[in-house]
Amino acid sequence: MNPQADAIRVTNLAKKYGQTLAVENLSLNVRAGAMFGFLGPNGSGKSTTIGCLTGLLDPTAGQVEILGQPFTSESAGLKRRMGVMPETLGLFDPLYAHEFLAFVGRMFGLDEAVVRKRVGELLAALELTDSSKTLAEYSTGMRKRVAFAAAVIHSPEVLFLDEPFESIDPAGVALMKQWLRRFTEQGRTVFITSHVLETVERLCTEVAIVTKPGKLVWHGDITVLANDGAIQFDGKEFRALEPLFLHLTGERYTDLNWL
Amino acid sequence: MNLHLVGQMVRLRYKLMWAKTRSRNGKIALFVVGYLLLVLIMILLSAGGLGAAVLAVKSGQAEKVAQAVLGALYVQALFGTVMLGFGMNAVFADVELRRYPLTGWERRLTRHFIGIVDPFWFLILALELGLAFGLCALGDFNPVQVLAAILLLFVSNYILARVISLMIERLASRKSGSALLMVAVMILAFLPGTLMPFLAKNKANMAALLRVLRWTPPFGAAAAMTHSGAPALAGLGLVAAWLLGLAAVLVYLETLPPRTQAVQTTTLKWDSPFDELGAFFGPQNGPLMAFWLRFYARNNRFRALYGLSLPLVSFLTFNFRYGFAKRSAPIDHIDPNGLFLAALGAIFTVSFFGTSRFAVNQYGYGGGAFRRFFLLPTDPAASMRAGSYASMLVGSSLIPVAMVLWLIFGGPFDARKVIMLLGSAITGLFALHAAGLWVTLYGPRKGSYTAAMGNDMSLMGNLVVIFGMLGALFTPQVLSKVLPAAVSPDNWWLIAFPAAAALAFYVISLRATGTLFSGKREELLAVVEGRVK
Repeated sequence: MNPQADAIRVTNLAKKYGQTLAVENLSLNVRAGAMFGFLGPNGSGKSTTIGCLTGLLDPTAGQVEILGQPFTSESAGLKRRMGVMPETLGLFDPLYAHEFLAFVGRMFGLDEAVVRKRVGELLAALELTDSSKTLAEYSTGMRKRVAFAAAVIHSPEVLFLDEPFESIDPAGVALMKQWLRRFTEQGRTVFITSHVLETVERLCTEVAIVTKPGKLVWHGDITVLANDGAIQFDGKEFRALEPLFLHLTGERYTDLNWL
Repeated sequence: MNLHLVGQMVRLRYKLMWAKTRSRNGKIALFVVGYLLLVLIMILLSAGGLGAAVLAVKSGQAEKVAQAVLGALYVQALFGTVMLGFGMNAVFADVELRRYPLTGWERRLTRHFIGIVDPFWFLILALELGLAFGLCALGDFNPVQVLAAILLLFVSNYILARVISLMIERLASRKSGSALLMVAVMILAFLPGTLMPFLAKNKANMAALLRVLRWTPPFGAAAAMTHSGAPALAGLGLVAAWLLGLAAVLVYLETLPPRTQAVQTTTLKWDSPFDELGAFFGPQNGPLMAFWLRFYARNNRFRALYGLSLPLVSFLTFNFRYGFAKRSAPIDHIDPNGLFLAALGAIFTVSFFGTSRFAVNQYGYGGGAFRRFFLLPTDPAASMRAGSYASMLVGSSLIPVAMVLWLIFGGPFDARKVIMLLGSAITGLFALHAAGLWVTLYGPRKGSYTAAMGNDMSLMGNLVVIFGMLGALFTPQVLSKVLPAAVSPDNWWLIAFPAAAALAFYVISLRATGTLFSGKREELLAVVEGRVK
């Protein structure tokens, strides 16, 4: 993949649930090798957008291209090159972690020997070595780690992570960040949604911010923030992501006397 | 006792029930329930408790009739709850109630009060009250005594159902438990049929049995209702003693710690029979098959129902052997053709009952895991096909066992009957699983994977499972009356037609639902993730 080419290209994407508009005419490009942060308040359509980009949902209108090819929910060949950690994790609770990861690896066409090797390595690295518990018995953080491992087991070229760091302890987050940085250094692309703006600021190179209903209000390079620079927008200067985000999405203060 | 909060929780339960009726499925369910209620009220008035009361008073054998009616209702309530899962939906688990300022006893009271005010239990109570009303209106019986006996009996019935369910749940959670359960149910299923000829031959044995039954709650309640003075008090005392004893057992079972967790291990087990079996279905379907096989094998409800399948089929065969005919034949005489007709109907469901809950609602028990199937580099409908194949594979394993049981207990060997039974089993296997595919798409419902008991199927699911079973049982009986040649062993080859039709229905359903699957996924997702009822 040419590092300058777009790994993800979204054109006029719209998604309606009945009469409710969840994503409105969204267009954005994510270049290959980018660590892309997709931000927005609750209910702004982030997960719906990821659903449309990964084949879980069919867009009402618009086109999606992944790795230069048109993508639909039927694009099995492209799905083989993508890794997804969905919002609800999508884990099969009756399985043990190694069984689940092996299942995903096999479905993505890995050889049995590769499956066993990678499963063992991932479980050891993510400290999920207790194989006496099924996924249903795992803590929320452990379940997140398993879902993350399932997203990367087949070395995808594009990785979609929906709220990947919530509920994971700092050591786990640090390890995942390290992997993700190495991942993008190899020219692969990461698309992340998160509400932890500090993490996004330190990790991502590009950010898009959406407001309800899935309307893009800002998209740009944020590497300048890491070098003590500032982002200019609306005639204002923003030295961190949080004030920019609040400026775009609207700050709300409500005084509850009894609280 | 925080009765206000307990009352609020009960109100919430009914609000949740009412909320379900806002959905399309809920409205249909409400209509059907309303219709069934009407029918049941008619049954209640004509042949139910009230009718029995009239008979009891007129015949002058009030106690015997009350014993029979209350005993039958008691057993039927247990059958309906334990086998079919009616009236056993917990609604709130103890963990959920811990969020509220309720003590341990208040939580227990709330859970069971919510359990007992289920519409199913209302029906049982209505039938019992019909008898009580009839006895009081037509006979010279004490209304306070009658009412007290009915209420005590009713509560003891509910608690016994809970105790049995908890015991089954604990048994099913162990690997060896399913086998034990199967043996226990086999014994229970065959005991009445085996005992009856023995009892019929010797009146003394029947009297001995009745003496034992006098110590049971229905007989105690009957005595309390139809006597006065000391015998009535003894009857009431007996039911109350049962109630207290069962309540103590229930509390004990509920406070037992969950099954000990497996010892922590870091060794990964790779060579699993599920993967080996799945491998026969190719590299694309193999992992999916292995997943579904694990899904079934690790489910307590499946293990319980799978274990109950053969006893249930045997029980139905044995008890339907007379068909529509009057039971005028000697009780120890079994008409081979009657037994065959009953078996022909009962065996239809043998491969379906164990996995039925899942076959009609494949995604309802996985919640958000449903999303995973759309992220895999394969046709998403492959997961539904694999789920159906796995269900058929597991269910069909009972067909040869059922056939062997027929060869042992079915009377003189007749190859034509064996072929017809096999054909009926195959017809059921394909037809019911085909229906299951459609219900999976059009009648999904969020269920609990970990619950071993309870009926959490949608209305369509219930229709397929219950009417599938009833239809199968009655079809050979009806055919033997209107078109005897169709079920005659002389025309054994005719069974090939329904079997072929069922196979065609299955293949067509597999293709059609596969095509419709992607279009239905957002609706399915909303239901299985609990966003829409």
